[in-house]
Amino acid sequence: MADQLSTTFAALADPTRRAILARLADGEATVTELAEPFRMSLPAVSKHLKVLEKAGLIVRGRSAQWRPCRLDGRPLADVSEWIERYRPFWEGSFDRLDEHLREIMKGDRDA
Amino acid sequence: MRELSIHRVFDAPRELVFRAWTRPEHLTQWYGPVGTHTPLDTISVDVRAGGTWRACMINNETGEEYPTGGEFREVVEPERLVFTWGEPGGTAVGLVTVTFEDLGAKTAMNFLLTELPDDPGLFRGVSEGWSSAFDRLTELLEGR
Repeated sequence: MADQLSTTFAALADPTRRAILARLADGEATVTELAEPFRMSLPAVSKHLKVLEKAGLIVRGRSAQWRPCRLDGRPLADVSEWIERYRPFWEGSFDRLDEHLREIMKGDRDA
Repeated sequence: MRELSIHRVFDAPRELVFRAWTRPEHLTQWYGPVGTHTPLDTISVDVRAGGTWRACMINNETGEEYPTGGEFREVVEPERLVFTWGEPGGTAVGLVTVTFEDLGAKTAMNFLLTELPDDPGLFRGVSEGWSSAFDRLTELLEGR
C-alpha cells in the first residue's frame, strides 16, 4: 500500500499544485477557471489535478461537462499535525533557553 | 518538506549559546517544554562525534517521565551540532542539526529537525501533553 503521507508530500512538492490548492481554498472552481492564472493548457492543468485527486487533496464533481474541483483539507491536516507535533517541544524549550541566557547575561552585567 | 525548522536570535554570545546546548548545568535550565523539568542528575552529554547524550524530562503535574537521548554525529564548537533525538538507546525519532551564527553580542540559531519516520508514535502522548501545557500557559498569559 502506498503510504498516504508520501503521496500527499509528492503532490505538494510542485508549486503549481500548491497554487491550485490555494485557489481552491477560496471555493470550488472548474478546470478552465483554474488554468487561467497559470497560462497553462487545459491538459497540463488536468494532469496536475489528477495528481491532487489521487492524493485525496481535491474532490471533483460528477457532472461530466464541468467537473468542478473542491479542496479536501484532510490529508493536509495530517501533514501539518505530523510535523507540528514536535514544535511545542522545541519552541517551549527555546523560550526557556532565551530566558536562561538573559539571566546569565544580566548576571554578567551586574557583576 | 519533512522537517521542522525554527530560527531564533539570542541576546548572548555564540560560545555561551553553544555551552548552553552542551553542558548539563545549562541544559537542566531549559531543555524540555513548558510544564516539564529535566533534573540535572538525569542529564549526561558526551560532546563528540559518536558520543551519546541523554536527558529525562519530568511532567511537573503528573511526575510522568519522558526519557530522551541519542548520539552526536557532528560537533563543531561553537558553530554546529548534529545529533539524533529519540529514546535513549532506542529508535531515533529524528536528526537535529543546530547551527549558531556569530552576530557579535547576539547569536542566530538555526534549528532543523529532519528524517522523521512516517509514524513516530513514540512521542505522541508526550507531545500532546506538551501542547496542553502550552495551551495552559497561553491562557495564563492572555488572562493577565
